[in-house]
Amino acid sequence: MLSYIIRRLLYTIPIVFGVMLVTFLLFNVVRGDITDQIAGKAASAETRAEIQEAYGLDKPLFFDFKQSPFTKAFWNSQFVNHLFSAATFDFGSSYKDRELIWDKIKRGAGPSLALTVPMLIGTVVISISLSLVVAYFRGRWMDYILVLISIVGMSLPFLSFILFGQYFLAFKWGLFPVYFWPDLSVWQYTALPILIGIAAGIGGNLRFYRTVMLDELRNDYVRTAYAKGLSSRQVLFKHVLKNAMIPIITQVVLAIPFLFLGSLLLERFFGIPGLGYLMIDAIGSRDYKIINAMVYISAILFVVFNLITDICYAWVDPRVKFD
Amino acid sequence: MDNLVLKRIIKTLTITVLAGGGIYVLSFLLRSGGIPENEVVIYSAIGSKIDSLDPGNIGDTSSSSVASQIFECLYDYHYLKRPYQVIPQLAEGLPSVSEDGKVYTIRIKQGIYFTDDPCFEGQRRELTAADFIYSWKRLANIKYLSRNWWVFDGKIDGLDDFREYTKSCKSMDEVDYSRPVQGLQALDKYTLQITLTKPWPQILYLLAHLPTAPVAKEAIDYYGKSIINHPIGTGPFVLDKWNRGSYIEMVRNKCFHDEFYPSEGQPEDLENGYLADAGKKLPFADRLFFMLIQEDPPMWFLFLQGKLDASGIPKDNFQQAIQEGQTLSRELAEKGITLKTFRNPSTYWIGFNMEDPLLGSNKPLRQAIACCIDKKRYIDLFTNNRAEVADGFIPPLMKSYDPDIKEKGFGFDIERGKKLVEQAKQLNQGSLPVLTLAMPSTDVVARQYGQFYKKSFKEIGLELEVDYMDWPTYLGKMHQKDFQMFQSGWVADYPDAENFLQLFYGKNVSPGPNNFNYVDPEFDKLYERASAMLDTPERTQLYRQAEAMIIEECPAVFLLHGVAFTLHHSWVENYKPNTFQYGLSKFRRIDVEKRKAYRYK
Repeated sequence: MLSYIIRRLLYTIPIVFGVMLVTFLLFNVVRGDITDQIAGKAASAETRAEIQEAYGLDKPLFFDFKQSPFTKAFWNSQFVNHLFSAATFDFGSSYKDRELIWDKIKRGAGPSLALTVPMLIGTVVISISLSLVVAYFRGRWMDYILVLISIVGMSLPFLSFILFGQYFLAFKWGLFPVYFWPDLSVWQYTALPILIGIAAGIGGNLRFYRTVMLDELRNDYVRTAYAKGLSSRQVLFKHVLKNAMIPIITQVVLAIPFLFLGSLLLERFFGIPGLGYLMIDAIGSRDYKIINAMVYISAILFVVFNLITDICYAWVDPRVKFD
Repeated sequence: MDNLVLKRIIKTLTITVLAGGGIYVLSFLLRSGGIPENEVVIYSAIGSKIDSLDPGNIGDTSSSSVASQIFECLYDYHYLKRPYQVIPQLAEGLPSVSEDGKVYTIRIKQGIYFTDDPCFEGQRRELTAADFIYSWKRLANIKYLSRNWWVFDGKIDGLDDFREYTKSCKSMDEVDYSRPVQGLQALDKYTLQITLTKPWPQILYLLAHLPTAPVAKEAIDYYGKSIINHPIGTGPFVLDKWNRGSYIEMVRNKCFHDEFYPSEGQPEDLENGYLADAGKKLPFADRLFFMLIQEDPPMWFLFLQGKLDASGIPKDNFQQAIQEGQTLSRELAEKGITLKTFRNPSTYWIGFNMEDPLLGSNKPLRQAIACCIDKKRYIDLFTNNRAEVADGFIPPLMKSYDPDIKEKGFGFDIERGKKLVEQAKQLNQGSLPVLTLAMPSTDVVARQYGQFYKKSFKEIGLELEVDYMDWPTYLGKMHQKDFQMFQSGWVADYPDAENFLQLFYGKNVSPGPNNFNYVDPEFDKLYERASAMLDTPERTQLYRQAEAMIIEECPAVFLLHGVAFTLHHSWVENYKPNTFQYGLSKFRRIDVEKRKAYRYK
């Protein structure tokens, strides 16, 4: 198992390298120079040149053809700087406000997780519970109604959940604060966005878990269990739920790295100073350094949680072996 | 499935809901004390993130409105008087100017102190003339990478040489600020003398512009790069908390010098209650909150709930707020909300790149395009009529605005446009290619603009392609002159039409502010002459002459001048809009009881 983990961790290197290459190409090659944005209006050519030097933007993207040998030509490039800053986790300062990117990430992680973790837990618990109900009532009115509600929920844009919740639940009926406010606790200003996130997420999740449960219920072992005289409770909770754990674990564990990224829309509409808000702002202002840092950390988290998922498979299903 | 299963599932769901609800209710019970009830607090919204609170590097409106509560300049604009009038702030009086208009001597008020801070090691730190010299040299320091060097670029004797010297330094810290600059002298502790390279009367406005606010060298040395988080000024408020990406909290500056509410204003100010606090000590508020709210719906809801004291009107809520005749709706009036409208010093346009081989040499084509845009329809469609038709580039707010400009400009005239297109075709060997417009946004509204322009161009037989792009890409294209036409605009930094004229000055072509790349020696001569003159009727004539020249040559189609609509609640007093002054919170007075009653209701 240890060798499997080491091998999988080594896979991380080419995967993360690939991610870094793609982000670099997207933001440096395809989207062009950002000097003008940093320099502000009416900046002189010399100021722009100084900015380019200060941020290493005067260096060639991949190769300095004037340099030789090859290693030197490659070494003195923006791409190497980009890789180096990622490898050392030294992401530098934001182009926009010159604040250290690590400070931004540290500050934003808490609010983002305060929003996304309860959202994930709530969505998973409610979806799995309801999926067991609809699986049991399959083909009956309860099943149809819940499936219909799920489809409607999935079809509605996420923004409409936000606008509906903010207008009716917060503004009209005053059940929640409309927006972040300095004298509110984190639970107060995240309550409504969490509720909206859960409501918007249940549709898709319920459909997925219902399919998983129905697949399991059709298996021979379920009939055998009932034939042995086990109660529905024992069949569903001891057998079906346990056997359905692999897709559930895949779904849940792979969602964990994205918790770190926060929720772009919810954070912006409810003023939650998290990483989703940071990311959407960085994309808007093309603060490539922030995007790079966030993508890099997410890529690493994604690979690590993928590995954890695989390890969990062996834990819940003894048939899974690491070769 | 038996009932037990259902019960278990329902139990799980109930526990989840109860746990969530319990935490929510508990959070209300355990809430912290919050803001003391007896404090006067102003709540404002800002629409974009604050980049910096270091005046030397501030380049956006949101940061300026926040930092202006902390920092002060030598001069400011009178809060009540119109047309806008420059008055002393940190200076004792207006500068004495030499006969040749090049030497400005300014006496600084004594007894002005920077706010107390550990960087001053427990001593009170008085503002001196040397602080201005240091701050302006700092702007010149190329290693500082200030966005605001344009303020002094080429204007002060010897300051450009200082900038040249900083190029040889390896880092910002290596720069020797004791190195003398001929044009910046402290004659004594409180007297500053500025020597200009040429007469530049607009300097007075720039000395009221936030980037020229003084900072203390001790603070810069003490905090280094994190000075952006530690603004130390002389203004009425000090930073208490900066929750980046969320809100800024300020409290009253205990070291603030004596400043009083103005006792004079416009004749109607007395009637409007703007002089009720005449002569009272400023500021009136104890605490300020600037909430970052980038989306319109929450901002509007918070305003209607009475959480925000003032607000703009989001496009989607315009019908709710404003009724026919551009007056406040009954619904809002009944809530005690007041509407204030005022002209902005802004002009928006479609610009032509005069270096483009087709457009630059084809005046009839440019004029034809000017004829095909129905500006009234544009204003109605895209601004809820919150704008005025622009015939020239000088906004009606400016003193030198030409009341007869309508007759000089190109109005909406399709027939004339068609005739001009025929002339344009003849000049271009009988046909015209598809034209391209650079649009600095990719959102839905930008695409609606694009559709409108395409339709307008088609009316006179022209084909248009709109190139939608993000702001940085657009800026890059402007600086590299890599475009044919562009949509843009300008909001004046100061109330002098020179600020618009410089956009067409030959020496300012891209990457400078002249994105039209318009070069006309005759215009340049006129600009150079007028911009060095003091505010006289002769200068106004020259400005108008220059504007007429531009309208005739048509490097741009001027579309509109902005009109701002703002709302405030009944508990906000002294809310007189001011388009050039940013640090306005000190004048505002809040009736806390009225606000409490509204919120309770």
